[in-house]
Order: sequence, then structure tokens, then C-alpha cells
Amino acid sequence: MSTTATTPSRVTPTTSSVAASSRFRTFAVAFAISAPVMYVICVLWNLPLFTFHPATNRFAWGWEAARSGEGPAMYWYGWTATIILVGGFVGLAATMLPDSISRRIPLALVWLLPLLAIPIMIYTLMPFWTHP
Amino acid sequence: MPISVNTFWTILLIIHGLLAVALLGALTHQAVSVLMPARQAAGPAGFVTRFRGVNGAGYATAICVLWVLTFLMGAWIYTKYRIYVRIPIEQAGYWKTQGFFDLKEHVATLGLVSLPAYWYLWKNAQRAEYDSARKALTVLIASMCWFLFLVGHVLNNVRGFGS
Repeated sequence: MSTTATTPSRVTPTTSSVAASSRFRTFAVAFAISAPVMYVICVLWNLPLFTFHPATNRFAWGWEAARSGEGPAMYWYGWTATIILVGGFVGLAATMLPDSISRRIPLALVWLLPLLAIPIMIYTLMPFWTHP
Repeated sequence: MPISVNTFWTILLIIHGLLAVALLGALTHQAVSVLMPARQAAGPAGFVTRFRGVNGAGYATAICVLWVLTFLMGAWIYTKYRIYVRIPIEQAGYWKTQGFFDLKEHVATLGLVSLPAYWYLWKNAQRAEYDSARKALTVLIASMCWFLFLVGHVLNNVRGFGS
């Protein structure tokens, strides 16, 4: 059977100005690199932007322990908000770098860092894995 | 006609599940298209060739939108999950199941923050220097999606509809 190689995944060219922008590239790469790092830090050091108490629908800035009689406290929303803010700030700051520097940021980090964050997250959940 | 509280949250859970199915399908097509690019056969293309022969770049925006929508729906449902599902799961001693849910929330966020780079890499798919990063990130996000879907499915079996 004769075959010819095709790359159907590569046939659509850039159509929007955002996708063609080198500043957006820098923002996206810096965001994708900083956010997983920040997420690990937020989880390890418990740094949510806010705490949500679902039983009472109450928000509190920063970390707040669950209150007696008010059910559990949730920090995941706060961690996510923290890294989106910090990642967005780092991404915007990176767009101010000269192109010659921002182009040197290794693209492999955009997939390597989220991948490396997963085993750390698994480790932080050790009490669940080892609970008798 | 008013609906019960249970019905309301069940509808949200179904929407979350349907969005996840659409996302999973799109990401799987795209991941297979970068892992095993289709080669144009002389004869009629078979199922596998058609499955991997999609235009991956055309999926990128839809995948980002689906991930964000699925994430938002999941985050909304999570408020009820924390009280009405997690506490009974802990009381029943399903610690590993709960551990997997906590890992699911971490993975969902890690996937979310990868989306801008993922979208950029796909919108510039004609640039060969992005190929390896685009391929690796796509496979990573697709793997994340499969993990999220399966954990969500198992959790629903443990304490979902009708429990």
C-alpha cells in the first residue's frame, strides 16, 4: 500500500492577531510555567486567596480554619484564585521583557512543570493513601 | 414548575458529565492525531485512520472552552460535594477514594492553567519549532482529562445518583 505522510494537525494556520502575537506567546508561556510552581507552593504552605465555608456560604480572606458548628472549610477555590492572579501577574511582567530574552524560556517547561507537580500533589495526599 | 433541590443538583451533575464527555472525545481525537499522525492511504481510510486523521488545530479553542465550562460546573457542584458526598465517604472509611478526588481537584487546576500555552501552541501549529511542546502538552492534558473523568465516574458510583 503506498502512503504519503500528512500532518492534518498542522494544517490550520494562525487566524487571530492574539495567536500571532509574540507578547501573548510570552504571557502564555510565563503563565503556564509560573502557575504550577505557585500551585505547589500554595498547597504546601496553604496560601489560599480566600477560604470558602460551604455550609454557611461564607467567604473569608486568606486561610481560615473551619469554625465549630459551621461545617468544613474549602481552600481549593482560594488556591486556584491565587495562582491565576500570580500567574497572570508573572505573565504580564514577562511581556515587558525583550523578545531576545523571552524567546530563551524553554518551551518544554510548559508541560514538564505541571507533570512534575502531580507526584508532589500525590505526596501531599499521603494521609489518604496510608489511612488504615 | 419548581424543581426539587436534589433535581437541581442532579441536572448540574449531568451537565458537568456531558461536558466532560465532549471534552474527553475532542482531546482523545487530538492526542491520537499528534501521537500517530494519519498517513494518507491509497485506498479508503479505515476507522483508526479516520479517528486519528482529524485536524487537531481545529479542536483547540473548543477544548479550551469545554475545559473551562467543565471546570466551572465542577467547581459549582463541589460546594455540595464537600458536605453531602465527602463527609459520608469519610464516615464510610473510603479514604483512598477521597484521596483520588483531592488529586482530581489538583489535576483539574493544573490542566486549567496550561490552557493559554496549549491554545497558543495549537494556533501556531504550522511552526515546526513548537511541535514537541505541543505534542507533549496535548498528551499531558488528554491524560489529565482521562484521569479526571474516570475518578469522577468512580466517585459517582460510590455516592452519586440515588444515594
